Amino acid sequence: MTPVLQARDVSMVFGGLAALKNVSLDLDEGKIVGLIGPNGAGKTTFFNCLTGLYTPTTGQVLLKGDPLPGDPAAVTDAGVARTFQNIRLFPSMTVLENVLLGRHVRMKQGPLSSLFHGPAFRRGEAAARDRARELLAFVGLGKVEDELSRNLPYGDQRRLEIARALATDPAVLLLDEPTAGMNPQETEAARQLIFRIRDTGVSVVVIEHDTKFIFTLCDRVSVLVQGELLVEGTPDEVRGDPRVVEAYLGKPPEEVEAELQAVQEGEQS
Amino acid sequence: MKTAMARPLSAIGSVVLIIGALLPWATFVLNDGPYPDKATLEFFDAPFGLSSFRLYLEILGLAGIVFTFVPVRDKIRVLKSIGWGAAGISVVNLLFIAGDGGGLGAITAADGVPAFGSIVAVVGSAVLLFGAYQLPPEPLTVIDSKLPWWAEWLILLAAFVALLFLITETLTAGGHSGVSDPYIGPLFLSYLSAVGALLGVLHAFGVTEWISDMSERHRVFSIVVLVLCAVAVPFTSVGNDYWMTITANIGVYAATAIGLNIVVGLAGLLDLGYVAFMGIGAFVAANLSGAVAAEFHIQLPFIVAAIASGIVAGVFGAVVGSPTLRVRGDYLAIVTLAFGEIFVRVSQNNIGGLTGGSNAIPNIPDLSLFGAQFNDAPTIGGLQLPGGVLYYFLIVLLVALVMFVFGNLKNSRIGRAWIAIREDEDVARAMGVKTGKLKILAFMTGATLAGLAGAVFAHKLATASYDSFQFNQSVTLLAAVILGGMGTIPGAVLGAALLFVLPEELRQFKDYRLLFFGLALVVIMRFRPQGLIADRHRRAELADEDTTGESLDDTAIKEPVAVAAKEAGA
Ligand SMILES: Nc1ncnc2c1ncn2[C@@H]1O[C@H](COP(=O)(O)OP(=O)(O)O)[C@@H](O)[C@H]1O
Ligand SMILES: [Mg+2]
Repeated sequence: MTPVLQARDVSMVFGGLAALKNVSLDLDEGKIVGLIGPNGAGKTTFFNCLTGLYTPTTGQVLLKGDPLPGDPAAVTDAGVARTFQNIRLFPSMTVLENVLLGRHVRMKQGPLSSLFHGPAFRRGEAAARDRARELLAFVGLGKVEDELSRNLPYGDQRRLEIARALATDPAVLLLDEPTAGMNPQETEAARQLIFRIRDTGVSVVVIEHDTKFIFTLCDRVSVLVQGELLVEGTPDEVRGDPRVVEAYLGKPPEEVEAELQAVQEGEQS
Repeated sequence: MKTAMARPLSAIGSVVLIIGALLPWATFVLNDGPYPDKATLEFFDAPFGLSSFRLYLEILGLAGIVFTFVPVRDKIRVLKSIGWGAAGISVVNLLFIAGDGGGLGAITAADGVPAFGSIVAVVGSAVLLFGAYQLPPEPLTVIDSKLPWWAEWLILLAAFVALLFLITETLTAGGHSGVSDPYIGPLFLSYLSAVGALLGVLHAFGVTEWISDMSERHRVFSIVVLVLCAVAVPFTSVGNDYWMTITANIGVYAATAIGLNIVVGLAGLLDLGYVAFMGIGAFVAANLSGAVAAEFHIQLPFIVAAIASGIVAGVFGAVVGSPTLRVRGDYLAIVTLAFGEIFVRVSQNNIGGLTGGSNAIPNIPDLSLFGAQFNDAPTIGGLQLPGGVLYYFLIVLLVALVMFVFGNLKNSRIGRAWIAIREDEDVARAMGVKTGKLKILAFMTGATLAGLAGAVFAHKLATASYDSFQFNQSVTLLAAVILGGMGTIPGAVLGAALLFVLPEELRQFKDYRLLFFGLALVVIMRFRPQGLIADRHRRAELADEDTTGESLDDTAIKEPVAVAAKEAGA
């Protein structure tokens, strides 16, 4: 079976700086893939290449076997949705309107229909609202749909970004550090949410710093260091790889060992 | 400790205010006759004869005392509104008497006649304000009680009729029909300050929001009543030729401002050459009107010509909007500015022979319907209506149409996408919004509406001249949108009304007009960046800031008056 999303030898050069060097990644349908690496490794840049925001200098991205369209709007239409590392909601729109905006690509009303608000328009609008409310309930924001998005607490803003992305009915969801700034309970809730998203048939790529989070969430993990793919494999393979311990984690080996130990114990219990 | 002083201070301020209202205001009869009703304004001539601005001051002072001691919600906003209103009135009249009225001698003591009324009133309102600001800030009062539908209808009806009354009273404050009364300016500003204070108090009690939410619930009913109110205007005290012309002008500019509001307020694209689209519409209509100077010697029915004007302007809108695909922000502003200038030069030099150059296209035939000429004064059922009333009705129709377009588009998939582009264009694109197409659509829609307005404008004026579509008109329209509140219909209408009525009322200060606009804009941007009538989202943002304290000031609606007053004295 072909992977839903496939990056082949993607390189991205800014001026003289090679932010990505021949990075490949396969995302199989219904799987969760983790992407870890130190700050500045090129993770966000890679996401930008996967969403059409950047055109890779060399290499190719395939969505369900077809090359990715060049324009971000078209990529979203084709089924790739994302969230942002530094939350980028529409701050003075309400929670519901943010999700409705995500619904934009799946709605069909053109200018004339939007002008006259005929029966078809109203049906489409009502359907979009129903779907948006459903998604808000799904991510656990059912009660705050009329709040301005900027007034939500940090963790809720991240969840709202996920709901907005899901509103585009994506085949692939890219999450850029979805638990940054969250407390342990919120992080756990986010993990459960990502599992539930996966269970609805959406394939997910997650960037995260929290190795424990990644190793217990993902089916496969890729490690990116200075723009290069260092290791790719199952969480167990990656966790055991000495290069990861050395290059990515960049901490004294004992400390890393202890951390990994904790992860394993957490899994067993 | 701070708040302990609030009550005594505002009580003292209010009492001083009343005393000020009762004292004489001028030492002699002002040069050009009675101002406003008693020649010397001396209370002792007629102890109970307070009227006009001194009556407002007295009422405000009494209200100040009442609201200082009666427990009310949001006391700070109530007292602030009263204080700013009183300050506006006192400062306007002080500056006017001391300025136009004859210098400092007119407001102090001369020939043994003391006249300290204005100074006392200014001090009183300052003390009242000072006291009010000591009070702790409170969140905006929200009334969320719902009544049976018929009760809400009645309340809305009453509110709209009251609004109509306020508007006609405001328009005629200080005299009718543009007879050159030298006192129109200060009397009008006094009235405006008093109305501002009233609205401020209602706002503090949550009444204005309550009614606006109610009208949101009964949208269709509200629109019908609003249109009926607009239709009723010619039958009120402003039903004369002069005010028909002024209100029709306001209507044309309001329609244009609402169109601009799509581009600037919704999609967030700065357009500095917008009035050119109105000009294009006007010239298209003029050329198809059968005017002698027109290039084409055909006379199309107005409705066809108007549609043609809208379409042609819309096409130009799309062309001018196309750089938005490449340039953003400041650069776009420069492109639109350049377009506006090109339009003016081209039409001034009559390139293509379509604009009449500096001779303009004069003598555009008056519109007629069933044999009634639009400029005539018709009689309906024995009732003599003012001249130009048919244009007025046509323009009410135009404004209603433009509101319909704006309102429906705003509450649709397209409108949400525009707002998303305004908020964060990159993210909008990442969410699948085809930003390029939508930005061009915004330009096109705005231009089409301006073109329609231009067609009506040309017939109303009977002339289409490049001179009406210069850069300063674009800037004034933009100012109307920003001043009134970006992204809202009432905001654009209020903005257009203020910027196109104030100059009429303040003709004696016309040298300072631009200075006044500038100052008013600076003040508004400082204290109320979301505009006088903010859109629901921005309103919520404001309420939000409110609870966290400080930077809020909802009295800005009265502050321009104070600024105007300073101008008046200048
Ligand atoms: N648009 C850009 N222009 C120039 N350099 C960029 C751009 N985007 C990212 N970079 C550079 O690419 C490198 C990788 O950044 P990024 O992808 O944000 O890393 P990560 O998300 O892994 O922390 C950094 O050195 C960054 O400065
Ligand atoms: Mg990053």
